This record gives sequence, C-alpha cells and structure tokens, in this order.
Amino acid sequence: MNEHAVRTEDLWKIYPQEPRPVEAVRGVDLVVAPGEFVVMAGPSGSGKTTVLNLLGGLTRPSRGKVWIEGREISALPDKALAQVRLSRIGFVFQSYNLLPVLTALENAEFTLLLQGVPVTERRRRVRRLFREIGLEGLEDRRPPRLSGGEQQRVAVARAVLGEPALVLADEPTANLDSATADALLDVMEQLNRDNGTTFVFSTHDPRVMERASRLVRLVDGRVAEETVSGDAG
Amino acid sequence: MIRFPTLGWLALRNLGRELRRSALTAAAMTVGLALLILSRTLADGAHEDWIDSGVRLASGHVSFNAPGYRDSESLDDRLDAGQLEASLGAAALAPLTEPSITTVRVATRGLASSADGALPALIVGVDPASELAFSRLGAEPATGRYLQEGDRLHAFIGAGMATRLGLRTGSRMVLTAQVASGDIAGQLVRVVGTYRTGLDDLDEALVHIPLSVARSWLGVEGATSVSMVLPHSAFTDPVLAEARATLEGAGIEVAGWPETARELYSAVRIDDAGDWVFHLILFAIVTLAILNAVFMSVLHRKRELGLLRSLGLSGAETGLVVFVEGVLLTIASGLLGVALGFALVWAFFRNGLDLTDIMPADITFGGIVFNPVMYPSIELTHLVQSVALTTVIGLSASLYPAWHAARLDPAESVKVE
Repeated sequence: MNEHAVRTEDLWKIYPQEPRPVEAVRGVDLVVAPGEFVVMAGPSGSGKTTVLNLLGGLTRPSRGKVWIEGREISALPDKALAQVRLSRIGFVFQSYNLLPVLTALENAEFTLLLQGVPVTERRRRVRRLFREIGLEGLEDRRPPRLSGGEQQRVAVARAVLGEPALVLADEPTANLDSATADALLDVMEQLNRDNGTTFVFSTHDPRVMERASRLVRLVDGRVAEETVSGDAG
Repeated sequence: MIRFPTLGWLALRNLGRELRRSALTAAAMTVGLALLILSRTLADGAHEDWIDSGVRLASGHVSFNAPGYRDSESLDDRLDAGQLEASLGAAALAPLTEPSITTVRVATRGLASSADGALPALIVGVDPASELAFSRLGAEPATGRYLQEGDRLHAFIGAGMATRLGLRTGSRMVLTAQVASGDIAGQLVRVVGTYRTGLDDLDEALVHIPLSVARSWLGVEGATSVSMVLPHSAFTDPVLAEARATLEGAGIEVAGWPETARELYSAVRIDDAGDWVFHLILFAIVTLAILNAVFMSVLHRKRELGLLRSLGLSGAETGLVVFVEGVLLTIASGLLGVALGFALVWAFFRNGLDLTDIMPADITFGGIVFNPVMYPSIELTHLVQSVALTTVIGLSASLYPAWHAARLDPAESVKVE
C-alpha cells in the first residue's frame, strides 16, 4: 500500500487576469494518508475548491506537484489524467452530480461501466451498496424524482464504487437540510470506516468539520492551520 | 482506448432526453434532404424531358455522319451506301437493354415556295414509319396527317410555313435545292398535313418528304445521317463508345447529343448549375440551423459535460459523445429524408408537377419548348450525391460543438452557477 493517498508540494494556481493575476492557491503542501477523513475549511475565496480541483486533476497547477498514491499527475497528458480520475479518484460535487438521462442505478454504476466491469458484477455491487446506504428501491428513478439527499447519496455511491484512492467532495452538504446532511455524512463516515476509503472535503459546514479526522484551514490560498481530531479538544 | 459503445449509449440517451430539440434538428435535415431529393428528381426529369424533346427534333442522342457534314450540312459530305449499312449495323449493336429508335435521313437546305411567296427551308427526306416514332412530329398533326408508306410526292410541313406561304392540306408547293450533281433542281410536292411545335423557327422551316423522293430528287444513294433515340440520355456515352469502336477506320463520324445539340447541352448544364447553387444555399441555411441547435445543447449541458470529465472521460471522448449525437441524428434524418423524399417523388410520378398556372405558354429554351408539367426521374448518382451532401452537412455541423465540448475546462464546467 502507498504511504500517501495524496501529496502535494508547493502547489500554486495562478489565474491570469487584468490588472493583476489572481493567486488562488499559494504554495500548499498537503499529505493525506490512506483512510483519512480530511476536511479543508475556510471562507469563500480561500482556495478550497481550487485545491480539490488540483488534487483531482480537473485543473493543472501553475507550479508545484500532485501525487496520487505515489504517482505524479500534474504533468500527465489529458488522456492519462482522465484514466487516473476514472480509476483512482471519485468526485462528489455540491449539486447537479448526476447525469439526468440515467437512472439512479445507471448513474451509480457509470464509473464501473467506464472501467469495463461486467454488467452482472456492476449490478451486484450497486445493489449491495444501495442497500447499505438506504437507496434500495430507488434504482430505476431518474434524478428529478430523487430528493437532494438521495441524489447526493447516489453520487457518493458512484464515487466509491470504483474503489478509488480518494474521494473528493466539494461542499457536498451545502444544499441539504440538517437531517439529510447528517445522514449523508453518516454514509460517508461508514464507507470511510468500513472500506478505508479516503475522503477529502472542502466545506464551511461545521457539521462536516466536526467529523474530520484532520481539519485543514485555508486562508487566502495558503494552509493557515492544521488540526488533527482530538487536538482541538 | 475509446469506449465507443458506452459513448454511443450515452449519446442515444441524451438525444432521447431532449426529444423535442432532437426532433426539430432532425426535421431540418429530414425535410432538407426530402426537398433536395424531390427537387433533384424533378430537375433530372425536366432535363431528361428537354433532352428527349430536343434530340428528337434534331440529330437524336447519337448520330452517324460523314466527316465534315455537321459543319457543312452539304450533300457532298454524305454517307455512301456502304457507310449507311455500316452505321445501321453499329446502331443495331448498341449495348441497350431497352429498344432504341433509329432513323435514316437525307437533309438539305433549300427553298420552299408557293404562289404566295418563298421561305428558306430545311428539307428532310425521311422513312415515315421510323421518323414518326423518332421525332413524333406527326403524332398529333395540327392539320391533315403525317407521311405514310407509299406516299410519293407528299410533304409534311410546319404550321408557320403553311401560314406564311398560304398553304393548306392538299395544296401544292415547290421545293428547290442544290442536288448532288451541283445543279439546282425543283420538286413539286403536295401538303398532306402540318405540325406545330411551338418553335417558330422550326415551324416555318422544317419540311419532311419521303426518303425515296428525296433520294431520287437530290441524286443520292446513301444518307446524310443515321440518328438514334435512346431509352435514356444516360446511355449516350456507352453507345457512343461502342459505335466508335465498331466503326473505327470506316470514315464515319459518330457524335453524341452534347456535340450535335450544343445549345441544349449548355441550357441543361446552366440549369443544373443553377439548381446546385440553390441547393447549396438551402443547405447552408440548414447547416447553420443544425449547428445552432447542437451548439446550444452543448452550452446548455456544460455542467454535465464537465461531470463526464470528472468521471474519467477524456476531452476527446467528451467531444465524441456530442459528435456521436450528431452522427445518430444524421443517420436517422438521412433514412427519414430518403423515405419522405421518395414519398414526395412517388406523389408526382403519375401526374407530375403542373406549373401551367404560373408559367406562360410556349416558353422556348435551348431549342426546345418548355414543358410546364415536370415529371420526376430518379438518377442514382444524384440520389447518392444528395444523401452524401446531407451526411456531410449533418456531420460537419456537429464538428464544432464536439470540438468545443472536447475543449471545455472541466473545473470551470462543474462550477455551481
């Protein structure tokens, strides 16, 4: 097993803009161990989402490097980067996570489909996970017929079913009420605990922060503070 | 490796979701192709009609002459008896699956005169039976009848000539021309009937007399031309090639209608070019409509396309999803367009497209009288061209949206608006 699920070194993201370039991320060094439940917190504009996008290879760093399970991904060509996203990274966004033309089951198994997993094996894995996270019976529903919480759980299912090295969740509870958000976080914690799936969140939701095994606070694109669960006391 | 089945499946689902948008986009292509097929088949039918009418009044689809005759139109440049036999033999060998019509003519320029005056005339000695089927001039005489087997000193003339020379059925007239010996000789004939083509120049000049009379009067044994009307103008080139090969070295010139009826050929080409320009303008508009529809759907689905990138599709594969949508739409539209096009063509096969109400009578064009009733004619080459044009347009209209989708910044695309 790799020592690190994800590691960054002097990570910068600078957007060219007039009159001055915007430095969204400024020299972030981050190490996430396999199985961690890491939360990045900070005010709007602190660079949380940009860091997640850099970790997930959705955008390329202006400077610095990113490793996923020991493999440097910052300079990979588009096709190879897509393959890394497919096989090693799961994403959960704030909203609009699902493809509207597919059912809940089809959305959940989409990553497995792209990975070439046979249909019977896909269905078996999806149905088992749906049972575990309370989605049983909703397999054939399309996104518009699912509640916000159900949609997010389907997105989480899709993110973890491909057995990625890490799941990146960008404000996953932002559009959910308290009870639904707690239920979603319970699911994620359960998957983290039972399967050892590594989660990295960006949020300013205190409920998410409370559950973090490590809390990383970003301010103006820099890591301002790191707190390991129990330290804050 | 690109996952074509998955991308195709996704593209199909996307088309199904925006059914109205997909249907409207497909409808633009379907109707465009159907109208193109109808328009092409009507144009092809009209052109074939023009050619058929034109060549029947002139030298046929294929004509056999002595070298130099087409320029000189002189009896000196005629086919002798041997060459006439050889020409008829070559005509009989024409590689055709349907029957053709072959006629033998002896033609000369001369003068037609009566008590009322004289007119320059094109005097043609014809075999009445074959000529009737060939030129159809005598099929519906304006007055009297056409020439018949056994007629001797008879003539079938245009209604214009009859009027100008004060002639009626049964009237006598004198034809004067330079005969083969070089002398000027006259021939008295009696009018058995008149025709009206609508072409004033022809109606005032063309005179048909029996071939035997022309031969004895003009002093020729052979003929000035052997002419063939083929079942379709498309047979011209193969028949020409075969006849030229058969008659190589025989001192016989074999020419196709594009050479013998240059004015008609130019008219068809010009009209054809005009049709294509019109079709290209029509399809440029259709292309822009499709491009707009597909591109708007890409902009509308920016987040979805970004999501696909985050799930592991490469930029090229994401673009391919959009392109495959265009391909599927094009295939569906192509099939529907061909079906609709054929349905429209079928509707006009029986009675044609009648433009009588919007077209003045007796419009002449390229040496023929324009038929205001247009009948479609299916030509495989043009049909394939129409389908190919639609395919190219459907696919090229999808290329830019696909390229745009492939180049979307995934991080920007998945941002919450």
